[in-house]
Amino acid sequence: MAMTQPSLLDRLRDPSEKTLGVMLLAPAFVLLALIVVYPIGKLIFNSFFDLRLSGGAAAKFVGLENYLLVFQDTDFWNATKNTVLITLITVPGALVVGLGLAMLANLPFKRRWPVRLALLLPWALPLSFAGLIFAWFFHTEYGVINDVLRRLGLEDPAEPTMWLLKPAWGFAAICLTIIWKTSSFMALILLAGLQMIPKSLYEAAEVDGASRWQQFWGITIPMLMPSIVVALIFRTITALQTFDIPYTMTKGGPGNATETLAMLIHKTTIDYLDVGYGSTLAVCMFVLSLVITAFYLKRVGQSA
Amino acid sequence: MTRRAAFTAALALASLLALPEAAWAQTKLRVFSGGQNQRPDLMRQLFDRYQKANPGISIEIETGGSTSELQRQYLSTVLNAKDPAIDIYLIDIVNPAQYYGAGWLEPLNAHLGDPAAVLKPFLPVYTSSNVVEGKLAAMPAFADAMFMYYRKDLLDKHKVAEPKTWDELAAAAKKIQAAEAGAKLQGLSIQGAPIEGAVCTFLLPYWSQGKEFNDATGKLTLDRAAAAKGLRQWLDLVDGGVIKKNVAEVKTGDTVNEFKAGQAVFAINWSWAWDRFADDADSKVKGRVGVMPLPAMAGGKSATCVGGWQWAVSAFSKHKAEAAKLVKYMAAPEASKFLAMEGALLPTSAPLYTDADVVKSVPWFKDAANVVVAGRSRPLSRDYGQVSDIIRTTTSAVLARTKTPEEGVGEIGSRLGRIMR
Repeated sequence: MAMTQPSLLDRLRDPSEKTLGVMLLAPAFVLLALIVVYPIGKLIFNSFFDLRLSGGAAAKFVGLENYLLVFQDTDFWNATKNTVLITLITVPGALVVGLGLAMLANLPFKRRWPVRLALLLPWALPLSFAGLIFAWFFHTEYGVINDVLRRLGLEDPAEPTMWLLKPAWGFAAICLTIIWKTSSFMALILLAGLQMIPKSLYEAAEVDGASRWQQFWGITIPMLMPSIVVALIFRTITALQTFDIPYTMTKGGPGNATETLAMLIHKTTIDYLDVGYGSTLAVCMFVLSLVITAFYLKRVGQSA
Repeated sequence: MTRRAAFTAALALASLLALPEAAWAQTKLRVFSGGQNQRPDLMRQLFDRYQKANPGISIEIETGGSTSELQRQYLSTVLNAKDPAIDIYLIDIVNPAQYYGAGWLEPLNAHLGDPAAVLKPFLPVYTSSNVVEGKLAAMPAFADAMFMYYRKDLLDKHKVAEPKTWDELAAAAKKIQAAEAGAKLQGLSIQGAPIEGAVCTFLLPYWSQGKEFNDATGKLTLDRAAAAKGLRQWLDLVDGGVIKKNVAEVKTGDTVNEFKAGQAVFAINWSWAWDRFADDADSKVKGRVGVMPLPAMAGGKSATCVGGWQWAVSAFSKHKAEAAKLVKYMAAPEASKFLAMEGALLPTSAPLYTDADVVKSVPWFKDAANVVVAGRSRPLSRDYGQVSDIIRTTTSAVLARTKTPEEGVGEIGSRLGRIMR
């Protein structure tokens, strides 16, 4: 029996197909477990504890108490509402603007590279820089927006609009900044998609007497659908995680009118040092993203 | 010659061998001394003096965190891990309660004595901020406070006396603003953005009605009507054109820059702003700035927000006795005098403000004494980060007029009621 069974060393030296597969996958699996499975597991584990670093007390198991608190927490619902609203406004917004930009960049220019470079710039800019720049634009006294309005005589210099201090305007300013920042990424993906559409389709449509508008809806959009879906999924996931731009523009203010889920989690864990409750909030956000993305994939994926 | 050389070599060799042993015998104290604003360079000089006087002690400095919040976050993680690496840390005046509550600091009663006696020579604010449940939690390093800066030249020119109440301040500001109409002057600059300064913006008019925010145990004692009245007063000053409309956007640096540019008659800010007004090359108000106690509400008394840093000994330190000794040295009047003269850091005891040497190098300190003695400490809570966040965001929202003062105070009351009990 000992003779028929090859030793471990032998098996490693001459592995069967299955063993070889396991061996080749192992490093990737270990790495993934270390950087994905462990942190997420630890996060879920922490969410069942009263773990506050500000107190110095040992972690106390509280079961589902944190989750019950989340459901009664008006800050959580407010942040969820803001996050969902930002997603609903900026994802379609960035898609429309991005599609426009992509089609512009796809026009038969002589020199395309300056256009494409300009398209890349907002994307290459760090999010928090974009937030800080736009915060200055919207500043009541020193901002360029109020300055232009004043010069055009559209605003009474004695009664300037305080863009970032009014909940609705602040929200609009943040959405505008996010659309500006993210539409270039949309445009890049869509531009790649546009370039894959064969010219012959348009030529055939032209021969058949289709108008530009009909070509757009009949050829461009359907052919572009796979790219649109990919871009939408990426954009939706990042929109649900919105943090940098509102953080640098309003810090969630006035009050918590523009606070997103990611900001609430950051505040709870980093500022309040309430790691247990912060983990619970993070798990809730994780579930929310998962549900929305799954729903999305199903609906948008079907129509593609 | 050769013999002498050999002797020298032997001596050098011997000392070289002896050196590690001497270093071994020393007690190493590691001190977290905050960020650059807490002047680690000056602290180092004091440590060097101490080392010279106490050959058995060697002191290392660790710096980090440019703001009080960042320092607190860093130390909270270090201390939560019960790390014995740091023996002494420099903490913001708002933090002793949190650190004591968490069991992170060694009560100094056993090392330095009864808190009331130990803190007697210092400013009165320290008996409320540094004593927690009868235990001496920390010793004062240097002070800071919110001051009312004003344009001496403008008040003199228009023959206006230093206002004692907020109503007088409003009247004085309006008079000067009207007379200097061309200059686009703000009457008063305060901080309304959701930053730490806004906590003081909330507390100043409240305290100046003679009200307490919390009792000695840290329990919330908010008088909602008085708090709403305080916030309402800021809004009245905005409506009256004394404070600018976008006050909810104003940060500490904005107040400094605008006052420095000669755009404000009165300004409330921390003590470090003085140097900006007096020393900065682009200051247009050099030599024209005065400091006075903050006005009170009619019938109340002047109060200000005290800041500043404290020395505390870690509960996880392996050299607590030595650390306590060093803390005593660093809190002594000599050290405070050195920091005042070299770094213009506010002294921790009243006599130093009128000390001849101090006044010679920092003349404005003699006016500062009255202000600092009326100083109060911000709420004591082990969750100060959260307390501060709730007060400043709500105050900012009220100043942005997205909430009424009553709504804002109601929110502060119900949220803090759960934390400060």
